[in-house]
Amino acid sequence: MVSDVTVPELGVGVGWRPEIAGFVEALPKLRFTEVIAESVHPERPAPDLAALRDRGVTIVPHGVKLSLGGAEPVAADRVAHLAACAEVLKAPLVSEHVAFVRAGGIEAGHLLPVPRTRAALDVLTANIRRTRSELPVPLAVEPIAMLFDWPDDEYTEADFLTELLDRTGALLLLDVANVYANARNRGEDPLALLDRLPLDRVAYCHVAGGSEAGGRYHDTHAAAVPAGVLDLVAEMCARQRPPGFLLERDGHYPPVDELRAELDAIAAASGFPAVT
Amino acid sequence: MSEPFDVELAAAQEALVRAMAAGGPLPEGFDADAVRATARGILAKRAGEVARAWPLLAGSYGASWTATFAGWATERPTRGSFRDGWDFARARRADLTAEAARELALVEARWSYDGASPPWPRRAAVRRVPGGVALVARGRIRVIGRGAGAPTPR
Repeated sequence: MVSDVTVPELGVGVGWRPEIAGFVEALPKLRFTEVIAESVHPERPAPDLAALRDRGVTIVPHGVKLSLGGAEPVAADRVAHLAACAEVLKAPLVSEHVAFVRAGGIEAGHLLPVPRTRAALDVLTANIRRTRSELPVPLAVEPIAMLFDWPDDEYTEADFLTELLDRTGALLLLDVANVYANARNRGEDPLALLDRLPLDRVAYCHVAGGSEAGGRYHDTHAAAVPAGVLDLVAEMCARQRPPGFLLERDGHYPPVDELRAELDAIAAASGFPAVT
Repeated sequence: MSEPFDVELAAAQEALVRAMAAGGPLPEGFDADAVRATARGILAKRAGEVARAWPLLAGSYGASWTATFAGWATERPTRGSFRDGWDFARARRADLTAEAARELALVEARWSYDGASPPWPRRAAVRRVPGGVALVARGRIRVIGRGAGAPTPR
């Protein structure tokens, strides 16, 4: 099943967070942002967010707790919430992760990798189909950064994702920083993964920074975007430029000049117009 | 929680989550160092989220907040940052600074929480808090007395 959904050009964006709401709202040429879906109250969205929507800025609700990769069916109320977010924010699509966040009633506290097995593909497919059937807009799914793999993997990451997209018709939210982090931690070439992914299915990309600790690169979203990630943005655009790149920052917020410089650097690397 | 699609995968995922968040044994075949590093990263992220929900509590620990919270939370799966901070503060009630104690008292005036089920907002309450008396009515809180000008948390 392959969908013929096309995503309009989004350009360069930055994730909306309460801590940087003023900065995001003040970006004169911003056309694209993303909000953590679980933080949205669809009955009364934050006034700053509603103002962006009314200004015509594309807002993508980004879920983090649906657990599409969990062996249990996705919770109907969580899917309904995602759908309500899309409606109230007039979103052209929503996104979630190729991951699970809870099992047996225990919350992991973050996104965990699924085994790259046929069994995991089956549950992901079932959960993505359930979710898509309740959503008013297309769904993009995002592979995560991970420091470890399951011992029983049957697929490479590229084959696993390609099959998942083929089976479900979902779009790909490709996190360039995750590609960078995983390749760096595995000692692999990030371009090798890029070259094997269906780049024509990419709805948009995430870009973020991280930090090295204990010999591992952690994709924390709490540090500056490293040059290696910006290089990957350029490499990706040289192959097939996706509709947009979105900077994710989730902590240790820098002065606005630094955030502005990061957005400019992403614009320069991708060839999209600056939004600052 | 509904019936799993796949019982075997559900059990494998549960074993991994128990190992990472609830002190369970690590299932065979995983890179133990990498799983531990991931679990530590999650605890640091949780500490940051609790600090946003409980700024005075976290602030009272200064630079040692992340390590202190992580030590407490290491075998306690998250129940959301609001409850995690609340559970932590209650566990340390005797040692809280004046500011952290006031933050806890104001939250306890505004919300009812038995430590087991999710907190719910009190409709009306009059409670003594450090520095005065908190009046709660229709979801709003007002503190009368000394220190009434200090910030009121959710």
